[in-house]
Amino acid sequence: MFKLSPAGEEFVKKELTRYETKRSAIIPCLFKVQEENKGWVSPEAVTYLSGLMDLPEAWVNEVLNFYTMFNKEPVGKLHVQVCCNISCCMNGARELTKHLKDTFNVKEGEVSADGNVTITRVECLGSCGTAPMMQVNDNYYENLTHESAVKTIKELM
Amino acid sequence: MPKCTINGKEVEVKEGATIIEAFKTMSEDIAHYCWHPGLSIAGVCRLCMVDVEGARGPQIACNTVVKDGMVITNQSEQIKDIVRWGMDFHLINHPLDCPICDQAGECGLQEQYMKFGQYDPEMNQQKVKKRKVVDLGERVVLDSERCILCSRCVRFTDEVSKTNELGIFNRGDRSEVGTFKDKPLNNKYSINTVDICPVGALTSKDFRFRQRVWYLKNDDTVCNGCSTGCNVKAYFNEEGLFRVKPVYNEEVNGHWMCDDGRDIYKYVNKEHRLLKAKNNSGSQWSELTAGKAMQELHNSLFAEIKAAPEKTGVVLTGQYTNEEYQAVFATLKELGVTQAFHWNDTDSDDFDGLLIRGDKNPNTKGLQNAASAFGALKSVADAEAAIASGSLETVMVLAPENIAVYSNYDKTFAALSKAKNFVWFGANKTECFETTNSSNTWMIPIKSFVEKSGTFTNHAGLDQTFNYVTTVVAGALTMSEAMTLFKGETLEFDLRAKPMTSMKNNHFTLNRGEL
Ligand code: SF4
Ligand code: SF4
Ligand code: FES
Ligand code: FES
Repeated sequence: MFKLSPAGEEFVKKELTRYETKRSAIIPCLFKVQEENKGWVSPEAVTYLSGLMDLPEAWVNEVLNFYTMFNKEPVGKLHVQVCCNISCCMNGARELTKHLKDTFNVKEGEVSADGNVTITRVECLGSCGTAPMMQVNDNYYENLTHESAVKTIKELM
Repeated sequence: MPKCTINGKEVEVKEGATIIEAFKTMSEDIAHYCWHPGLSIAGVCRLCMVDVEGARGPQIACNTVVKDGMVITNQSEQIKDIVRWGMDFHLINHPLDCPICDQAGECGLQEQYMKFGQYDPEMNQQKVKKRKVVDLGERVVLDSERCILCSRCVRFTDEVSKTNELGIFNRGDRSEVGTFKDKPLNNKYSINTVDICPVGALTSKDFRFRQRVWYLKNDDTVCNGCSTGCNVKAYFNEEGLFRVKPVYNEEVNGHWMCDDGRDIYKYVNKEHRLLKAKNNSGSQWSELTAGKAMQELHNSLFAEIKAAPEKTGVVLTGQYTNEEYQAVFATLKELGVTQAFHWNDTDSDDFDGLLIRGDKNPNTKGLQNAASAFGALKSVADAEAAIASGSLETVMVLAPENIAVYSNYDKTFAALSKAKNFVWFGANKTECFETTNSSNTWMIPIKSFVEKSGTFTNHAGLDQTFNYVTTVVAGALTMSEAMTLFKGETLEFDLRAKPMTSMKNNHFTLNRGEL
């Protein structure tokens, strides 16, 4: 059963008093859960968080499902999100995604056999001027080539 | 109070009223899905568009407050076109499976389509497939393809039942209504979501696929499930009842009713009913008509009781109408009988804060009122003791109609049937009939609440008069009729049940035959 760390629970308690309604605190609290639950939010974690925040499970689930930056399935140690919106695509993002998938031998959205990598395509990450780009966990890597992207990921592993 | 003009007619509305409320007060037609008078405003279906003179553009009527002097119309070609396109958008991903959909015939999409159908849709995209036949617990089934995401059901569980089970998950054209992990929607008011769902997305497990709604008639009555007395509509055909739905009454139940109240109709139908009078004055049961039975009781018991009234008692439950209690007490008075007992297995002051009350009798108040002129009511335990001691020899019982909530039904039957003369008035049959302890047992079939007119007095003392809805057991009597016959008088009316007001002659006009 998933449980937040004492510091995490403290964070949730604080968020609950921060907005006019408790419901507004769901997003930051879900981020905290995702951070402490290896990068994704499991159904058990929803139940746990709804108990902790004293809000209906359905409300937490609504927010979780609405936003794509919450992962509903397990992800690898490195969550590689390759931008595939216009600028990045024009600069070879689709080919880059394919190259990464082949290199790390993983299907889109799945976890590689060694548990290290998950590759997903995402919409514009607001870094169009340095396309193509990817986000690995919390950091941006820009002006990518096939080689530099693979090298970056390997170094982070 | 602001005045406005709606489709050329002037109307005055309450301060703060919305345009859609103004339309409703005038019974003026306006298309809408998400607005419901018992819920908060969502403004998501965009169908209630109107033109307001001087406004920037079309406005939604459900979320625009009427201001003095507003000139409003929904009759312009522009508005009709907007609604037409709105409809088309609602249908983009709708499966259009009306032939197998239980909502057909009372579906908001069908109704609006008749008025605002595009009839030549311009979509050439694939429909988004969603989940069908999702089991949402004991009473409700979800078909999320049919859902138009009006959010009425979600607001109901958030605002009325306050159980918060439902939500809209995902987004865009993947949005789906549902419960977290498909947990059951087992709150005490769940079928209200089926009622307010404007389409066939939420259907009732009990009712679905049993009848096409256009084959059913309906009429108003009062639920006899508890002392709240919710106003309801009973849906029936010649075979009996099929479902009940709430009818708006601000004073009593608002727009809603509870799930237990939905099951009440089942006791009314033939398979649960006592169809003929029965008598056992030895070791064998014989069947006869109710009228004949009452005449024989008059011949054999009336004089005997009158001669020694102190040996007779009546056991009453709070499940009959005020009119029937009056007839019973008047007869008792005539006979000189003074002992009346109150049987109530559900005596409690429980209240869930919304509608459901612990006293599962619709008319305990009415019984108490009628009895107050007669003398104090003793408890059913007193009756059992008096029978055991031999001081009561003749017992008449006005048995409950809603048997399920009478937890001591069988036990009480056994104890009371130890009386020498045992007369049981009741609408239902049960197995315990076979085990009577009396040497002179009579069972008289009585009409259920939908088969008679009368008045229930609810927990708050509010008198609610209701009318005859339909006949299920033609040969049953009301308590008033039974008392008339018991006194040796004849029933002075046409033995045909009254036809529904809307229909002069049809198969609901059941001949009551030989009483
Ligand atoms: S299930 Fe029915 S009531 Fe609920 S959102 Fe969908 S259409 Fe509206
Ligand atoms: S609350 Fe009582 S009266 Fe109302 S529907 Fe339920 S059982 Fe019937
Ligand atoms: S298109 Fe890739 S960051 Fe904007
Ligand atoms: S009824 Fe007004 S937007 Fe739905």
